[in-house]
Amino acid sequence: MKKLLTFGLLFVLVFSLVACSSNSSTSGDEGSVEKKTEDDKELVIATGADMVTFDIHDHNTTSTEAIHVNMFNYLVKRGEDGFDPDLAESWENVDDNTWKFKLREGVKFHNGEELTADDVKFTLERVANDNKLLEHGNYSQIKEVKVINDLEFEIITHQPEPALLNRLSRLGSGILPSKYIEEEGWDKFLENPVGTGPYKFVEWKKDDRVVIEANSDYFGEAPKWNKVTFRAIPEDSTRVSELLTGGVDIATNLPPSDWERVKDNEATEVAQGPTQRVMMLVLRQTEGHATSDPKVREAIDLAIDKQAILDSLMEGSGTVTRTRVTPGNTGANEDLYGKTLYDPEKAKQLLKEAGYGDGLELKLSAPNGRYLKDKESAELIQAMLGEVGIDLKLEFLEWSSFADKYASKSFDDMFLIGYGNSMFDAALALDRLSSKQAEGETDYNNPEVDKLLEEAMSNMNAEERAKQYQKAQEIIAEERPQIYLYQLDAVYGVNKGLNFEPRLDEMLYVDDITVK
Amino acid sequence: MKFLIKNILRIIPVLFIISLIVFLLVRVTGDPVSLMLPETATDAERAQLRESLGLNDPLYIQYFTYLGDLITGDFGESFRYNQPALGLVLERLPASFGLAFASMLVATLISIPLGILSAIKRNSFIDLFITGGAVLGKAMPNFWLGIMLILLFSVQLNIFPVSGTGSLMHFVLPAITLGTAIAAEMTRLIRSSMLEILGQEYIRTARSKGLLEAVVVNKHGFRNALIPVVTIMALQTATLIGGTLITETVFSWPGMGQLLIQAVNLRDMAVVQAATFIIALLVIISNLLADLAYRYLDPRIKYD
Amino acid sequence: MRMFSRIEVKKELTLEETKTDKKAYSLKWLKVLLNSKTGTLGLIIVVFMVLMAILANVIAPHDPAQTDVVNRLVPPVWAEGGNPDYILGTDNLGRDILSRIIVGSRVSLLVGISAVFLAGAIGLVLGLISGYYGGFFDRVIMRTVDAFLAIPNILFMLIVLAVIGPSLMTLIFVLGATTWVMYARMVRGETLSIKERDYVRSARAVGAKDIRIISRYILPNIISSFIVIATLNVATTIILESSLSFLGLGIQPPDVSWGLMLSDGREYLATSWWVATFPGVAITITVLGIIFLGDWLRDVLDPKTKTN
Repeated sequence: MKKLLTFGLLFVLVFSLVACSSNSSTSGDEGSVEKKTEDDKELVIATGADMVTFDIHDHNTTSTEAIHVNMFNYLVKRGEDGFDPDLAESWENVDDNTWKFKLREGVKFHNGEELTADDVKFTLERVANDNKLLEHGNYSQIKEVKVINDLEFEIITHQPEPALLNRLSRLGSGILPSKYIEEEGWDKFLENPVGTGPYKFVEWKKDDRVVIEANSDYFGEAPKWNKVTFRAIPEDSTRVSELLTGGVDIATNLPPSDWERVKDNEATEVAQGPTQRVMMLVLRQTEGHATSDPKVREAIDLAIDKQAILDSLMEGSGTVTRTRVTPGNTGANEDLYGKTLYDPEKAKQLLKEAGYGDGLELKLSAPNGRYLKDKESAELIQAMLGEVGIDLKLEFLEWSSFADKYASKSFDDMFLIGYGNSMFDAALALDRLSSKQAEGETDYNNPEVDKLLEEAMSNMNAEERAKQYQKAQEIIAEERPQIYLYQLDAVYGVNKGLNFEPRLDEMLYVDDITVK
Repeated sequence: MKFLIKNILRIIPVLFIISLIVFLLVRVTGDPVSLMLPETATDAERAQLRESLGLNDPLYIQYFTYLGDLITGDFGESFRYNQPALGLVLERLPASFGLAFASMLVATLISIPLGILSAIKRNSFIDLFITGGAVLGKAMPNFWLGIMLILLFSVQLNIFPVSGTGSLMHFVLPAITLGTAIAAEMTRLIRSSMLEILGQEYIRTARSKGLLEAVVVNKHGFRNALIPVVTIMALQTATLIGGTLITETVFSWPGMGQLLIQAVNLRDMAVVQAATFIIALLVIISNLLADLAYRYLDPRIKYD
Repeated sequence: MRMFSRIEVKKELTLEETKTDKKAYSLKWLKVLLNSKTGTLGLIIVVFMVLMAILANVIAPHDPAQTDVVNRLVPPVWAEGGNPDYILGTDNLGRDILSRIIVGSRVSLLVGISAVFLAGAIGLVLGLISGYYGGFFDRVIMRTVDAFLAIPNILFMLIVLAVIGPSLMTLIFVLGATTWVMYARMVRGETLSIKERDYVRSARAVGAKDIRIISRYILPNIISSFIVIATLNVATTIILESSLSFLGLGIQPPDVSWGLMLSDGREYLATSWWVATFPGVAITITVLGIIFLGDWLRDVLDPKTKTN
């Protein structure tokens, strides 16, 4: 009896621990965080994953680039409307394959060296020629960089490349110090990276923190912070706890379950904004799969209440869409954005017409833990399809197994995936639906779409090119080789003393973050 | 001396088997290529990368290349960091060592008094409370305890920092998290080894001679119980290192555990191999040291 | 094997010195069962859990996979805002936690028990070969055991699961393939000592076959301590499974296990405590029951360390 009593007691102890830590969360003021003030010149940002490398050409991680943008500059920056000058002061299209640029004068690297056209040549030709680099595929269109003088150069492409500026304003486009790297070697650069940006490198403690400090010689507006620290905190609840206790000023990837807590806290708030990532179902049209019937595909689309998924899993954040090329991208079809179809009755009707009135069994493969609430979304989709008589078999795969199957194109009827688009151009987004790329995956084959995509690929007339892509999106939305669900939002926890606007590209330009 | 040499020689085949196990684990079915490239990569890009990583060679060639490299201390390059894997692992050792040491300290401080107490007060309320607590400590998963401790002591009470490193205060919560599971196991083991000793002839003799209980326990019991405690501590090395995998992730502790988990997730196999190898070596060495300590503390032990 | 764990070996050895007299056994079992409140409790818990697993589909009040978007994160019935339909509340998709615990017991126990069976079978065979035949096999097997002991369980499993991908079968396989070493060592130790006993020697002298000696003399002497270790290991396996879930490599949905529920629920620890707490309690109670039962079996089978 004594033993039972003891355990009863122990249980009570453990439970009260749980209760202590959770009940008080409703009181509205957890932690001890104070609002950021004017004299605090240090900023701490918590991210979910550590930076990958300082080799800007050999990674493809948005969260790494989000840090790099503070240390390196691109030639041009994507702006509200077209492109803005950054390291390049001006540029022009000499002919279909040649672009001429002029560099800003007097830009210095962190080690004091002056920026010249040779640095541009070194940087871009490295990634364009070395096929071992992970970003190679996005720069291999560049044939040569011709140096005219210290400040002027020409970029020559193999084919007409309408999206060249898109390519030059993203991951891998930071300009590197050629002299420093050639003299000291890559190892030295990776240990002690040097760029032209407003902040210079101080320290990188792997899986812990990256520290940068103000570069007083910056060519642009003076840096606003003395020191900025990016901390890698992979566990969600730990990251939130750091925000609530004032350990960090901004926390990225805030899990929806904690938004309420962060909002209730006096000194913290939630900031959210759209991203480039669109979640979708990819459907096989191969003969023998029920999904080869357009009526079945339409029924699946109509049976899924996308807004309900956003409301119940993501606290309403995110935007429903019928295209993957969302606003902010070249060639976006805004008529399809913010729209969604939901009509379970018609879905049932369509299934009956397709000959599946008595039910239909389909298989959906989904990753588990790769995208925000991916597992839960798939589970809700399963329930929604069940309502119209589709018995959906779910197969969840941990990311590495999913990636294997993805690469070998061996999914069954459909799979759930979220594509990003760091190019901000429709070309990358729609490429996978050309009959050549789709072979073995969706087996989607529409000669009209093929023609549109191929023509647009090298069409130097921007307006006409955008129209071609918009037309392709319309056809795709009707034929549904991919059923678009919604565009994900990025959600940040932010100290209330800060002005912070989430960016579509998810970059963390720290000088855009200011004290209120 | 002969004992030492014999045991050290015995390590060699063990290391050989470990190398084979690790190699088979990571190479047979693993294809890192699809993980290294983004969703939008083309087939040609994949094939290119596979070739450059040497993944197209026959398996046995890959193994012998790997074994040859291993003997010269070359574990290959991490593709995540583009650096030699061994260096990356060694760089993380101090952080993990610090955490492991602090956790062991916590575990020892908890388990020695509790283990002895529950053995002395066998079947009393205290004993039941302690053994019960040990079961709970064992049944509580590390990650759950860690998150609970953060919520209570950092967010609510604001006593300790949430995560990261930097001061002694940063050690407290992770060390308690990792130490608890170890303490639970050690308490049980210490209790039973203490019971065994207390049941032995000479203790009973001492008791019958009318010595004070405290003297008996202290002089005869504890000292003899200390010997197995050393072994018990050494035996926890593997568990301890295993525990750092989860504890370091919860507290974003920049040690080997986090390095390993991310390496496994990204299939950065050079790092996985190097880390597994180093961990195995550490476990083997700590067991060897325990054996030596055992011999030293208890000269009666004879080896065949 | 001296390199590792002298204590464990010693304990195993004392455990093994069990008598073969079967009548005395059953009497003792009964006596100890009546005397041991904790043993009885352990047995009750384990039987309860096993029954729950077997009857899961009958007794679960809801379909464990049925989502209910309106009733998300409903607290347990006694808490403010509770709903009598969901006694222990619902999770973030509005699924009934009680039903999920009941159905989850299947996978948790299945994984625990099958993995122990697999590990036990491997360990038994290799331990017998190693102890009985000795020589080269012994050396190879024992060095392999050393190698496995030098790699932390969780690390080994992490690598294998990441490589072959987690599923119910691979999970059982991996848990079994990592924990077999302790059985192998125990069986080897026992076999070595029993092999030298007079009755085995004489059986050999009259030319009895190895198979007969093993099945007739060695196995019966090993089996009791084997059962004790196996029982306790079911508990360890259940806990390991939950740690693997935390790393994303445990049971994959739509299958549900306690470890998965606990790990998924950690996101809600601060806001909806019941999501993670109840599966945690289920694990704790089960582990507790198994340990009580195991300790009791040990008392029965090993007179030396008997608690009065």
